[in-house]
Amino acid sequence: MPEKPPREVKYLATLPVNILLNAVLIIPFAIMIYLAFLKWSPAMGMPWWEAPIIGLTNFARALGDARFIAALGRTALYTVGVVAIEFFLGLALAYTMLGDFIGKKAAIAITIYPLMLPPVVVATIFYLMFQSYGPVNNLFLRAIMGEEALRIYWFLKPDTAFITLLIADIWQWTPFMFLIMYSALSAVPKRLVEAAEVLGARSFTIFWRVRMPLIKPLIVVALVLRGLEAFKMFDYAFIMTGGGPGITTETVSMYIYRTAILYTDISYAAAMSLMILAMIIVIVRAFIWYFFEKGR
Amino acid sequence: MGEVNKSRRLFLTALGTTVVGIGIGYAIGYLSKPAEMVEKTITSTVTKTVTATPGVTPPPVGLSGAATRALEGVRDLLNRGVITPGTTIKILHVAGSRAQLEKAIELWRQYVPEVNVELITLGQEPDVYTKAMAEAVTKAGTFDIATIFSTWFGDIVEAGLAKPLDEYYAKYDPEYTGPCAPIEPLGSYVTIYKGKRHSLVLDSDVFTLSYRKDLIEDPAYKSEFRAQYGKDLNVPDTWEDLIDMAEFFYNKSLTAPSGGRVYGAYFYAEPAFAAYITWLNIFIEAGGIPFDLETMDPKVDSPEGRYAFDIMLRLRPYMPPEAITAGWADLYDKFIKGETVFTAAWPSLTKEAMRPTSLVKDVAGSALLPGVIVNGKLVRAAPNPVNWIGIVSNYSKYPELSYLFLQFATAPDTGLEVILAGVILDLFRECWFKDPAYRPKSAEGYGEEFIDVYMESLKISFPDILIRGGTEYLSKLTTEVNSVMAGIKDPEVALSDVSAEWDSITRKYGVDEQLEAWRGLAQLFPDDIKDVWRAKGYMR
Repeated sequence: MPEKPPREVKYLATLPVNILLNAVLIIPFAIMIYLAFLKWSPAMGMPWWEAPIIGLTNFARALGDARFIAALGRTALYTVGVVAIEFFLGLALAYTMLGDFIGKKAAIAITIYPLMLPPVVVATIFYLMFQSYGPVNNLFLRAIMGEEALRIYWFLKPDTAFITLLIADIWQWTPFMFLIMYSALSAVPKRLVEAAEVLGARSFTIFWRVRMPLIKPLIVVALVLRGLEAFKMFDYAFIMTGGGPGITTETVSMYIYRTAILYTDISYAAAMSLMILAMIIVIVRAFIWYFFEKGR
Repeated sequence: MGEVNKSRRLFLTALGTTVVGIGIGYAIGYLSKPAEMVEKTITSTVTKTVTATPGVTPPPVGLSGAATRALEGVRDLLNRGVITPGTTIKILHVAGSRAQLEKAIELWRQYVPEVNVELITLGQEPDVYTKAMAEAVTKAGTFDIATIFSTWFGDIVEAGLAKPLDEYYAKYDPEYTGPCAPIEPLGSYVTIYKGKRHSLVLDSDVFTLSYRKDLIEDPAYKSEFRAQYGKDLNVPDTWEDLIDMAEFFYNKSLTAPSGGRVYGAYFYAEPAFAAYITWLNIFIEAGGIPFDLETMDPKVDSPEGRYAFDIMLRLRPYMPPEAITAGWADLYDKFIKGETVFTAAWPSLTKEAMRPTSLVKDVAGSALLPGVIVNGKLVRAAPNPVNWIGIVSNYSKYPELSYLFLQFATAPDTGLEVILAGVILDLFRECWFKDPAYRPKSAEGYGEEFIDVYMESLKISFPDILIRGGTEYLSKLTTEVNSVMAGIKDPEVALSDVSAEWDSITRKYGVDEQLEAWRGLAQLFPDDIKDVWRAKGYMR
């Protein structure tokens, strides 16, 4: 039986990783928390460590900031919308592709291809597609509505501009849901499905009573991961609408970016970021509790 | 054993041949050099061996005073050992200006090969701001010079990044007075902050009116317009005239050379950054003043503010909807396709319109922007959004050398060559427009008609809000202007919101501090505008 290495060796062995973690993660995060309690902008001409501490003022300001609250509400709506649609589409696609058919591999490859594109590229493509002379109006809608379709300006009205963002997101990220759902559904033991079939269960019953309970943990993981990602949406709004018209499609990430980078209001941006972080932690925790821990 | 000997012999033969070959090649190369180069090599070798004093190639006859003084300054720094050969200075800049800065470096190397200049190129304009502000915090000396938007001037000076340059201005005279000085008031408002010089002008970004000459000068349209509106169809003097003309051409439903529709006008109203430009232009011409000179209270929620919105909203029906939704470059695209009769933009629009691929190559006209009649007098002004300027970092190890590079790169002779090497930086010195030694070159780059119009526009140009928080003030104005133009906000509400937002920005930085900067900047507005402010009691 080899001797356990002394405790000092363990500490020394993990020291490089500790230093790295502290340098790139913990220290900057601690500084961000500290900044949220200051009144500081680089344009104030003083180093941040000399800036006055103003307690919870930045947090209170955020709660009274109509633009922040509106961006938050809009982002929440966006997140719920895209995640729900992507989930159902992804699940439906995955279920459709469960059986064997000719060209299945190619179909899967094509389905997941949007995932490989950088969001900024997708945003640019959709920006061009939704121009009044773009293919959405010129090819699809013109066939239905005639010349009137060319007078639709998607980015001119808040609602239609918001819809374009949803469509871009759904197009790119449904494959993510599909990929997880397909893996999950494929992993359901065939014998359970066959047993249900022998007992006379219909397809829907098998899906609802056999497959779904088994893939529930993966559904929750997919929803949480996708939800977190969607909540951070920046690229589509930045490229396609610029947050406009006005600020009607500005997401919370975009507002924080503008506050921190364009307005150099670093402390306020830090406070808003922390509030978002706290909210996300609470929501995700509640989600996990509801699906995994409740009634255990 | 025989094989080994053979290999050794072969190796020695090859080595000997190589050494002799290099020797002969070197000798031939040396002997075939021009005599002056041989002499230079000897001088350089002797200089390096005997003394630490390196040489700076003397400037050729004809190089302007400011460039010569910059080179003499560098020579002096080298002689005094303040810098040594091999010293490198770094410039932080945006990718769009790379060609022009590379030209400046190429010229510099002809005279100062001992001092290297490196470029730190960033892709997007806001990246420059972010990096510059980060440097203000870290003080790491990452770069020596930064080329920045004048809109960031207040932030960057107040953050302590921009070194005050009065001492160097006095010592080296960058020619900011006299016949070749930068045109005023631009030369002052983009370099002076709170009474001190903190930058050198690299550029001018003043807006002019661009229009379809073929339509405006068409005799049939002229008579039709006269019959319909009771006035002549000419380049419009006022915004009211422009609205009539835009309406007239819009109602004609003309087809552009591109095959698209011809719109009456296209002025910036887009949400990302440019919508403020149009509104602020009309507001200033109408005699509006952004802030009270006594209290720093915002004065945008005023009759002038409402008038600016009124003009913009009356123009809106004749503008393409993309004016409200697309990025700033869409305006360029539509004009060079011939799809707008009137538009306003930076000088680069004229350069684009002159390109062989432009569909308005031979029919694009330039004029002063329309004005507003105030107290019976036509008041014109021209915005100068996001003018590029050069600052020397307070954390540079070589501030004087960095200043000298900027002076060299913006001097009359060298500066014009730099400007003509690309599209981002534009003309700003008076002699480039007037002096026969420079004018032909300028005209080649911009066209004869444009440079006359542009010079007059520079004289009536007014600055962005170049005080601390400038970007934030203007960004919030842009949001509100775009909201009004998109029809999602009432102008009255928007003006009230801008006012509240601006007040909050002012309070964030301190009313007294902001007031001091604003008072200094207000004095640098064009005289015509200050006269109106005085007449209205806004300025004493």
